[in-house]
Amino acid sequence: MAIANDEFRRLIETHQRMVFSIALRVTGDYSTAEEVAQDVFLELYRSAERLENEDHIRYWLRRVSTHRAIDALRRKAVQPEAIAEEWVEEQHVREATESDVGMQARVEALLGTLPEPMRVAVVLRYQEEMAPDEIAQLLGQSVASVKSHLHHGLKLLRRKAAVTMKEYVREPA
Amino acid sequence: MNQPEEPFTKFEQELTQAMRAVDPPDGFAERVMVRAQASEQPRAKVLAMPRGLPSWTIGAIAAALLLAVFFGEQTHLRHQREQAEFAQQQFELAMRITDRALEHTQQQLWNAGVRFGD
Repeated sequence: MAIANDEFRRLIETHQRMVFSIALRVTGDYSTAEEVAQDVFLELYRSAERLENEDHIRYWLRRVSTHRAIDALRRKAVQPEAIAEEWVEEQHVREATESDVGMQARVEALLGTLPEPMRVAVVLRYQEEMAPDEIAQLLGQSVASVKSHLHHGLKLLRRKAAVTMKEYVREPA
Repeated sequence: MNQPEEPFTKFEQELTQAMRAVDPPDGFAERVMVRAQASEQPRAKVLAMPRGLPSWTIGAIAAALLLAVFFGEQTHLRHQREQAEFAQQQFELAMRITDRALEHTQQQLWNAGVRFGD
């Protein structure tokens, strides 16, 4: 056996929210996210002996979750529009009036419209609160590239939020 | 321009609030545990030498196995040869009986005055 059952269960319970949330926000699909999260933990089950401590496990889970979620997203082969100009504002004005939908669900819906590199950077930055250099290391990209994805992703999100969520229409001072 | 290193703007703070980690579906941990245990395939038992045996013991076992294979093959060949010899004897006996029967029949026909080849 790769790892004791009790220890494995403890690791699942400790990290399941993080792993599932990364998978959910990158893939934008609940069932795909669960599938990805399960696969990540099974990979952990086989690899746990090589992981040195809790920080290492957390870093490993973040990295593997992100990459597996990106793989799943690419397999779906459904990419959102790549540029802000493709956003059809009229289509979403009606949605803005549906005030019964929670803020979190709205943010996730908006995230799902971001191109993959921006979406991944935004998830790691604002969900995991990782610094750009940490994100760059995790994704194997340059820091400049990550900063660019964050900048454009945030700009796009703000623009879309301005249309769909009145409460988000707060330009920086 | 919002630099990510700078303190979060109001929008970013709201984004962070809205992007808190969420719980997976109920029973997630149990489902993972079940899959993990199912992935533990029972490994096939392989005949392996116990560790720590001296090399002469391993050589003796190998020689004994070779001898067993050799004598097994020899026994099999001898058994086949015996079966072939028995079959040959049976065939020769059957031919002798047939010859006698033919001679007897021919004699009776001769006595009855039947001639062949006339």
